Amino acid sequence: MEVPALTAFAHWLGATPAASWINQSTWIWPFCETLHFIGLSLVLGITGFFDLRLMGFFPRVPIAAARELMPVALVGFAMNAATGLVFLIALPEQYVHNRVWWYKAGFLMLAGLNALIYETRLSAHVLAIEPGGDTPAAVKLIGAVSLVSWLAVLYCGRMLPFLGDAY
Amino acid sequence: MTELLAAIEGSALATWTRESPSIWAYSTILTLHTFGLAVVAGANAVIDFRLLGIAPRIPVSSLRQLFPIMWWAFALNFATGILLFMADATTKAGQWVFYVKLALIVLAILVARRVWQSLGQDQPADGRVSSPLRTLAWCSLILWTGAIVAGRLLAYL
Repeated sequence: MEVPALTAFAHWLGATPAASWINQSTWIWPFCETLHFIGLSLVLGITGFFDLRLMGFFPRVPIAAARELMPVALVGFAMNAATGLVFLIALPEQYVHNRVWWYKAGFLMLAGLNALIYETRLSAHVLAIEPGGDTPAAVKLIGAVSLVSWLAVLYCGRMLPFLGDAY
Repeated sequence: MTELLAAIEGSALATWTRESPSIWAYSTILTLHTFGLAVVAGANAVIDFRLLGIAPRIPVSSLRQLFPIMWWAFALNFATGILLFMADATTKAGQWVFYVKLALIVLAILVARRVWQSLGQDQPADGRVSSPLRTLAWCSLILWTGAIVAGRLLAYL
């Protein structure tokens, strides 16, 4: 599938001074990649812990207490959004024509929507659950969707060079 | 030594890992290694940031439940790491950063074991964390970060 506006945008982005600056540097790409790995560990580790708690594991941990780690996951996410943007600016055509990259974007949106539903509809109710208390099925589902989405984001990201059709 | 490394690299298993067009060969092994890294470093981050005082209401003793998950993920990375090494043995064995990575991981595992032992002892009821345990948490964060950096540099140095 070829979207002309997207192709034009990718072409323009790849020709910006920022793109050539990143591509001409030996170390910007590896540096950002390393940060991307550290960031993904923070996101997967901390949201994974919270998701497992929502699913009913670690019952002795109050859900509100587990949630207090979330700012660390947000730092990891910010790191990955920023470094991911660097990759996109440097080699836009490698990504926008790669269906696996769009799957990754889709799973990111799913994870985001899922978190939004949790925060707006369920959080207040869930935070009141006493330590040791079980979580309702809807909350378990939210946790499972989040866990699966983030694992899928990791899978698509790591498999980009192998599954994608643009490399 | 060179001959041994060449023999490892030329073995059927190493050749399959490196050259098989199957999705289950190199790409899946590498992805499992990344998944394991996320679980090991991520679970450690949960433990370390709690010990350092973020999320103080998480009961310290409950952190012990994360260790079995971590050990399994580490076993996965040990196994996939051996396969990835075999596939590229002559190159990897000649890279100093590879030994730095191994050393950092050994130290990080020793620190994790120490944390595991400390968490088995009685913890203050008010959720406070002893100063030696906080030092271990800092060491753990630094060592795992270093292992990730070294691992990434393997592909570039």
